[in-house]
Amino acid sequence: MIIPPLLMAAIVYACLITILSIGFTLTYLTAKIPNFAHGTYAGIGIYVSYTISKIMGLSPYVGFPLAFLLGGGMSIVIFLLVINVLQRIGGGAIVLTISTLAIQIFLTAALNIYAYWLREVYHTYSMAFMLKEFDFYIGDYPGVFPVTLILCIVTVILLHYMLTRTRIGVAMRATAEDPELASVLGINIYRVQLFSWFLTGGMACLAGAFLPLWFQSSPTTGAAIITSIMAGSLLGGFENVYGAIVGGFGVGFSEILLTYWLQGVFGSWVGEYRPLIPMFFLIAVLLLEPRGLQGVYERLSATKTGERLIGIFSRGRSVS
Amino acid sequence: MIELIGTLAGEITGEARLIVDIAMFFGLLVIVAMALNFQYGNAGVPNMGCAVQVIVGAFTVSAITMRLTFWIVESAGIKLLPYYSDFDWVYNNQINVHVLVNPYLKEHPMVAISLLLFSMAVALVLGAFIGWIMSLPAIRLKATYLMIVLITMADTSQIFGRNIPKISGGTLGVFVPNVFAWYPGDRGVITAVITLAIGLVAFFIFRTMLNSPYGRLMRAIRENEVTVASVGKNVVGIRRNILVFASGITALAGVLNAFYFSFVVEANYQRAWWTYWPWLMLILGGPGNNAGTFLGCALVVAMRRIIIYYKWFFDQYFFFPISYFEDILLGTLLIVVMIFRPSGLIPEKLLYIPGVPYGRLVREEVKVDWRKAPRARAAGEKPRWMFWKR
Repeated sequence: MIIPPLLMAAIVYACLITILSIGFTLTYLTAKIPNFAHGTYAGIGIYVSYTISKIMGLSPYVGFPLAFLLGGGMSIVIFLLVINVLQRIGGGAIVLTISTLAIQIFLTAALNIYAYWLREVYHTYSMAFMLKEFDFYIGDYPGVFPVTLILCIVTVILLHYMLTRTRIGVAMRATAEDPELASVLGINIYRVQLFSWFLTGGMACLAGAFLPLWFQSSPTTGAAIITSIMAGSLLGGFENVYGAIVGGFGVGFSEILLTYWLQGVFGSWVGEYRPLIPMFFLIAVLLLEPRGLQGVYERLSATKTGERLIGIFSRGRSVS
Repeated sequence: MIELIGTLAGEITGEARLIVDIAMFFGLLVIVAMALNFQYGNAGVPNMGCAVQVIVGAFTVSAITMRLTFWIVESAGIKLLPYYSDFDWVYNNQINVHVLVNPYLKEHPMVAISLLLFSMAVALVLGAFIGWIMSLPAIRLKATYLMIVLITMADTSQIFGRNIPKISGGTLGVFVPNVFAWYPGDRGVITAVITLAIGLVAFFIFRTMLNSPYGRLMRAIRENEVTVASVGKNVVGIRRNILVFASGITALAGVLNAFYFSFVVEANYQRAWWTYWPWLMLILGGPGNNAGTFLGCALVVAMRRIIIYYKWFFDQYFFFPISYFEDILLGTLLIVVMIFRPSGLIPEKLLYIPGVPYGRLVREEVKVDWRKAPRARAAGEKPRWMFWKR
């Protein structure tokens, strides 16, 4: 079986966007704000990979646990220093969102400065790079393709297990539903929030660490892919983790394939307009069904035929 | 500032140039920041798309006014180099503008002034139109959805400007006609003076609107939109009107910025420059009052311009471009201000309308003619013209 490189690229990108979208949605569920710095966490992962492979000369796969821990730790620091403080003094949703924007500006500038520092000290070109030559190969396939696919599937399964079977997952869902009621029931909301920020930051940084293995990366990549992440999350309903899986995969997959297809139809100039595709998804979802796939699902389950359809797919189990 | 007005071109150097620069950018950004204060500070509409509206103003100058100027000059009998294809539009632009058009505008001041007025009028309309389009997807939804859509739109407008050379010359940029060619003195000074004058006019427009019943309605929407909707007001319509109106005013800043540099390129209109810095000004000064906006704008503009002016000094110590240091400063300041001074340097005062018996209003039922309320100013109160006391 031969998988064309384009399809591989689309699958790798879609898997990474899926992981990022899940994190974005989890943050929205527990903190009730869209975290605009989420894409920049991925940017930090990119530079972890760069440092490990180009500077230290190791395989980038060594850096992935490090990226997870670094991203999680940084996310916790951000939560403790900024978000938690602002929440405690009673900042509204808009104030908190602007603070995440400020964090995004800060982190992007810090990444740029780090790139300049690398250039100054190690004399490498660190502004736009790919790390394809550090990847391992299985036959003709670069290792990043199976690894991201497996990582994405494992993440989804672990997340489902955690949210439905473990105490912390149930506590997270309860906090997302109603924080005050959850704290009455004895859930330590502060600890749940800490855990969720660690998880989302780590996942985003891990996904970012995979990006330079296939795609051209620069310090601003993280700030650029936030549109795709938000489009994926919004397509999935913004308040549903399972929706984010479908939405993120759909947006990431179609962003690459649709660009290729449109280039074939209209000419190569369409490639410049690639960022418009997630933007198109974003606006189409907001205009047609602001609650995304979750809204479609609820509308379907309200009708008789829809109920039967859902019954076929879920085989009688109740899907929440 | 005042003694600078009469000086000749090229005479302004060193620190005098810095003052002109600060005055110009204060005028430009105070328009954006006041429009933002009108939207976010008073009506609670978080407009994160200021950069789009500014870029619309700049594109109006480069795409519409420039073609009109060329047409006027050609019908006056001066032969221009061809400018119809993409290549000619960018390649012949410098000769067309600097050698052929600007001398004509120097001899015909009325044409130049009417071109300035024309581009401002068109930018007002186009900016309002873009504001309406931007409001379509998410104005009905939660504020965070609106922010998401508006932020992503800033990049979109830049992509269009970058890839369609007919708008603003793509990545190379185009020179625009100098509408102040007739002025014997320094062009920067007259642009700064005109920008400040327009800023003043915009300030009076916003102030009048905020003191009207509509302004009180806006504040009511910011405080609790459910209550406002329950008494029969069209909340979505009012929010959309506010966004559209303020978008038009914001586009004026783009026009003036284009004429100040005599050059339009999309890279000059990044969302960091035209969205995040005005937001910092608003939050630093204090959302909800115009005095705070002025103070925040003056502080931030002076800080940024001085950093750029003494760039050589910083470059000795830094190994990276100074703009990243500015970004770090922006992010840190925004968060520090939000944590330590949530209501800004000048907090918003409660709306007090003279002539309304607030004390009795709480205790018993009093009939108040709210439409006539602002006029019912008691004798001995501070006079109307003391606008800074508002």
